[in-house]
Amino acid sequence: MSGGNVKLESLTKRFDEVTAVDDISVEIQEGEFFSLLGPSGCGKTTTLRMVAGFEPPTAGKIMLDGTDVASWAPNRRNVNTVFQSYALFPFLTVAENVAFGLKYKSVPKSETSTRVSEALEMVQLSGYEKRRPNQLSGGQQQRVALARALVLRPSVLLLDEPLGALDAKLRRTLQVELGVLQKQVGITFLYVTHDQEEALTMSDRLAVMNHGKIVQLGTPEEVYNEPADAYVADFLGVSNLMDARVEQGSDGKGPCRLRLGDFTLHAQAGQLDATGAVKLAIRPERIHVNPYEESVSANCVPGMVERLVFLGSITHVYVRLATGAALQTLVRNDGADLPYSQGTPVSIALPAEALRVLPDPGVSVAEIHDETTGDQVLDLTGSGAG
Amino acid sequence: MASTVEKQVSGASRAEPQARRGRIRGNPWRRPWAMEGFTWLYIIWSIVPIGIAVLFSFNKGASQATWQGFSTKWYVGSQVTSVLHNPSLHHAVIQTLILGALTTLICVPIGVGFAIGIDRWRARTANGLNFVMIFSFVIPELLLAVALFLLVTQALTFIKLGTTAEVAGLVVWNLSWPAIIVRARLVSIGRSYEEAAADLGASRMGAIRRVLLPMLMPAIFASAVLVFASTVDDFVIVEQLSSTANTQPMSVLIYSNVHGGLSGPALNALATIMLAISLIAALIGFVAYRWLTRGERTGDGTEALTGIAGI
Amino acid sequence: MGRSETSDRRNRWLWIALAAPGAIWLIILFVVPFYVMLAVAGGGVNEFYQTVVPIWNPIHWSSFNFTAVWHDIVGTGSFIGPPALRTLLYTVIATALSLAISYPVAFFVARYAGRRKTLFLVLLIAPFWVSYMMRMLAWIDLLQQNGFFNSALSFVGLPGSTDWLGGKSVTVILGLVYGYIPYVILVLYAFLDRIDPSLLEASRDLGLSKWRTFWHVTIPLSKPALIAGTFITALPMLGDYFTNQLLSGAPGTTMIGNAIEGQLDSPGQTGQGAVLALMLLVVLLIPMLYYVISTARASREMA
Repeated sequence: MSGGNVKLESLTKRFDEVTAVDDISVEIQEGEFFSLLGPSGCGKTTTLRMVAGFEPPTAGKIMLDGTDVASWAPNRRNVNTVFQSYALFPFLTVAENVAFGLKYKSVPKSETSTRVSEALEMVQLSGYEKRRPNQLSGGQQQRVALARALVLRPSVLLLDEPLGALDAKLRRTLQVELGVLQKQVGITFLYVTHDQEEALTMSDRLAVMNHGKIVQLGTPEEVYNEPADAYVADFLGVSNLMDARVEQGSDGKGPCRLRLGDFTLHAQAGQLDATGAVKLAIRPERIHVNPYEESVSANCVPGMVERLVFLGSITHVYVRLATGAALQTLVRNDGADLPYSQGTPVSIALPAEALRVLPDPGVSVAEIHDETTGDQVLDLTGSGAG
Repeated sequence: MASTVEKQVSGASRAEPQARRGRIRGNPWRRPWAMEGFTWLYIIWSIVPIGIAVLFSFNKGASQATWQGFSTKWYVGSQVTSVLHNPSLHHAVIQTLILGALTTLICVPIGVGFAIGIDRWRARTANGLNFVMIFSFVIPELLLAVALFLLVTQALTFIKLGTTAEVAGLVVWNLSWPAIIVRARLVSIGRSYEEAAADLGASRMGAIRRVLLPMLMPAIFASAVLVFASTVDDFVIVEQLSSTANTQPMSVLIYSNVHGGLSGPALNALATIMLAISLIAALIGFVAYRWLTRGERTGDGTEALTGIAGI
Repeated sequence: MGRSETSDRRNRWLWIALAAPGAIWLIILFVVPFYVMLAVAGGGVNEFYQTVVPIWNPIHWSSFNFTAVWHDIVGTGSFIGPPALRTLLYTVIATALSLAISYPVAFFVARYAGRRKTLFLVLLIAPFWVSYMMRMLAWIDLLQQNGFFNSALSFVGLPGSTDWLGGKSVTVILGLVYGYIPYVILVLYAFLDRIDPSLLEASRDLGLSKWRTFWHVTIPLSKPALIAGTFITALPMLGDYFTNQLLSGAPGTTMIGNAIEGQLDSPGQTGQGAVLALMLLVVLLIPMLYYVISTARASREMA
């Protein structure tokens, strides 16, 4: 399968006074699993619809393997879409649904049935040819939608939050399957989701969007471990954002010295040459909580355990620093009892190499949090473990 | 021991009046007998008289009031007065069927096209036309009949009174059935299916033909049945726009003969035939509706009924 | 998220083409006829042939027919006044009766019918499919002087020799009720069925008694249903003429529709018939507009 390079150049979409997509440029490689991640209203679905051809862009180019298809009708482009609602035709059987697009590729009848069987086998639904969509479960319908798009061998497959309507366990299974399927088929997947776990699990690269702009672009590891700003840090997993002040910036080699409330800390990640007010971020799994002792090591702040939440394989430990900041940490339940409980005074160690300096966006931590969790369900999965 | 028991008993009896005051009167989950009884009374009042009228169409005698035995003479038996043999009765049946068929065949396609076009045109003109269509739904039929009569006799005189004028008027009177029913269904279908079809390679018209129309088929069918039944029963517009006695359908014939003219049971026979035609249409519609929606149905089957009734 | 409006605009020609036949038909056979009616109302009479002479140019419209009708309404030999008032009276009574009967029935079927809902719906929808003719014919049979109704009356000891079909207001009013009630019931049912039962349950949960719940929650929630039911009955009923014709035929029970018909068919008075029809239209215009606007708004909100 050749082709599948998607290049968006200065793509913009305005609806009356609202700018849904604001001058974004990104290049997606052939065969890449690329995700657009962001809360509802960030412009990711509009971007996808423009690539599919359902919305004409206000400005910019959509290059598919070198050709600008921005003004092409959707049926002329060699891309196919898996819709959020699946949009399976209820009056056709599964086989007829899958075969729908083959008619427009002038595929002879004999070849049609072969390709339909192949496609259904790829999504593990062989034998379901004669069923009707209303006789299938949500997960099965989603697979039919997938088969229907893949049977046409597009160079790019667009997926608009396809797992949104499924329950959590099914979602996890299908996330893995989709990733495997993509590598098998080898075509470019452009995936839109608001679920950061999904994006981290499946993507080769992902773009975090907000207010129509791409805020950060990179691999899941890059985006998670090296968030460019407070917004991205808070969107992917728990970031434990704190307000701090730079005392002495780094000279390029050493750490940056900061003041967090009454305490001095050193940080070795992020924007080390920043000055003035900054935000600090650290992932829950990097924080070490120990019962309080007078002799403190570097980057240790005293505090208290506020709450323990048992989650099966891990326990969330919510602590409050003496500075007043509230942090979420996690501990793996390896069989040993925890040396503290609710109300215990503790020392909270924030290792310098895990402590990240982020530019201050000028808004409070709470406001950032509101923005990123917009429509997200409470993150109880501890998926910050990545 | 005795005193504790006493204390318990007196304590209990002190608590009782309290409880009794808060206790619900009667069983709150009891069946609403009064409402149900009333409903059944209504149903009897509504249906039984019709049954009696049907019964009298089989009356041996010529009375519409006293039962004189069973006979099918009003339908086929009598050489002079039965529907089968009496020419004016005969023609009335045929005229009704012609009007029903012609009106449905014209009204439904243009109504469906109107519904789809108006829904997507999205301009002020479209809204205006929609307005006019709803108006035609709510205006008393007499006013429209009068206006049409004047139109045909004073302005468009090349359309003579008669079947052509009747069909033209019936089409406009019934246009709101497909327009409203199909539009409602269109709105609930949404755009995603056509988008999916376009995504898979269909052109605009192709998507409408291969996807939208099949999904609209139940609504189209329901509105066709309603148009047909409405036309069969109609007489205000038809009466106003009819010319000679030859172009009178059953409804108008009955109306003009109620106070004398053809004998009673013959009218009952005609009315019963009208009823049979409508019911057969309704039955076909119901069966077809259920068959057409077999890929979508998840509920209890009442959608077919309400769909057919156009609710 | 499905905003296809921009691509709709690209294909505008298609939508216009689809809507065109219906639109043209509506304009030629709905809008234009009313203009003709205006032209005839504002027109004159060919004295010799006693035929109508429509005047097409609004500037030249004459008030001849209008003054004639005005005299007919308020003048000494007034014969339009009584039917007009009677129409109003009949319609108000018949509509009120229809609503009073329909509400409990519709309420019962919508809320309490349970598993038998389909059965009840079939029984309620059935008369809908029976033509108006048939339904009136049924009562004509029963109300004959030697018919079932009188026999039943004399059976229980009441006088059984009344001529019910000879010009009684009661007959006409009940005929109107019988004729229009299936529409009312279905409209009420459709609305009442959509009331969320959890609202009523919440009311009981919060402490309101059955009566209070009914009065303070159910009735307000039913308001749209009752309003729709009223419109669906009263507006067409005001133009009814055939019910009276079928069940009475006597001049003492005529409605405005009969007057219009009568004028239209009399040579030389067609113009006045047109004026009457126009007057009825004007009276109904405001309620019709209200209904049309709220329906159009509702359907746009859905879209």
